[in-house]
Amino acid sequence: MMTIVYLAIAAGILALTVWNLWTEKDWRKQASAAMVAIPLLLRVFLVK
Amino acid sequence: MKKHHITALIVSVVALLMAVTAGKAFLEHRRPEAIVRGPGVTGIRKLSSWFPTLAGSPGDTDVYIFQGEESGGSMLIIGGTHPNEPSSFLSAVLLIENAVVNAGTLYVIPRANSSGFTHNDPQEGAPMGYSLTLSDGSSRYFRYGSRATNPVHQWPDPDVYIHATSGQTLSGNETRNLNRGYPGRPDGTLTERVCYGITELIRTEKVDISIDLHEASPEYPVINAIVAHERAMTVASYVVLGLEMYDINIGLEPSPKNLRGLTHRELGDATDTLAVLMETANPSQGRLRSRTGEALVLTGKDPYYVKAQALGRLYVPFDETGHPIEQRVGRHLTAIGEFAFALSMEYPDKPLEIDGIPGYDELLESGVGAFLLPVQ
Repeated sequence: MMTIVYLAIAAGILALTVWNLWTEKDWRKQASAAMVAIPLLLRVFLVK
Repeated sequence: MKKHHITALIVSVVALLMAVTAGKAFLEHRRPEAIVRGPGVTGIRKLSSWFPTLAGSPGDTDVYIFQGEESGGSMLIIGGTHPNEPSSFLSAVLLIENAVVNAGTLYVIPRANSSGFTHNDPQEGAPMGYSLTLSDGSSRYFRYGSRATNPVHQWPDPDVYIHATSGQTLSGNETRNLNRGYPGRPDGTLTERVCYGITELIRTEKVDISIDLHEASPEYPVINAIVAHERAMTVASYVVLGLEMYDINIGLEPSPKNLRGLTHRELGDATDTLAVLMETANPSQGRLRSRTGEALVLTGKDPYYVKAQALGRLYVPFDETGHPIEQRVGRHLTAIGEFAFALSMEYPDKPLEIDGIPGYDELLESGVGAFLLPVQ
């Protein structure tokens, strides 16, 4: 059960990060958001 | 399309490519390397055949069985408890591919924590794996895993890990350490269920002696040592003396009664087996190591540890020759042979005769690869 809750949290943060990436106007902050998204993506898909 | 949407698209594509590339490497790490069935193996069973709840889970693992023609004593070799300690896993593999049992029964688990082999520890710079050259010139690749169960298989960690039987508290990530979870729980975490499965194997098969193989960093006090449950001290003492015949110095430590969850304590308390654990010296997992890579894993040579030795900071001799993998595997295998001999001496009604174990001098001369069978 806790695993599902944590996965939901990770998916939520991933969604917010991607939203931030597409609304942010500074490309450097966009790049930072993209880097943050990578481990979240891997965890949500249970790869790493 | 606005300008910042174009840059967002570019960085998204780049990030996605990086995630796919990394993801492929991580998924590749889950594929188990082949272990060749040697001439003495009479059966292969899954751990789940002793504890069915494990079936289909990442914790299920192969158990290789060597049934001698004559009845006798029984021994369990637990390899791969910590998949970042390669001499543990490789010693089990060499037994599987070379050993023949004449009397008694030998059980070998090469990947006790099979989930731990599917990843490695972030921020440690550890190699993904290492290769060994066989006598026919071919090579075999083995994964270098993590000390703990893959968090993809058991997540999240608690802030504090409470050992179920004793209430002992440890840092939260120890909840995924197989050698802190014994005797295990049938309804516990994946790690505790694997521990329970191994305990069930020992109980069901009435295993006389269980040997858990490990490696330790050179600055760790318990190294080049046997840690024995109090009921196993006599047999372990014979082994210490027997290893002197090979010029192998090994310490003998009593299993602390207040350090819970480890094989040498819990398997001895929860079952009738004689529980022991053995450590060799592996600089690639130490805190003082230099560049971490395949070479360090295999050669065990490290200039920083030579300096640490000169400063008196180590618990094991360390010079320019290092502690190569053939020496570490040789120590484990020679000791296993001595344990079989000591068990037969101490309990004549439970003889355990194992042939074909690669010798210490042979390993030092020819290397581990010389005793690996080619994968067909």
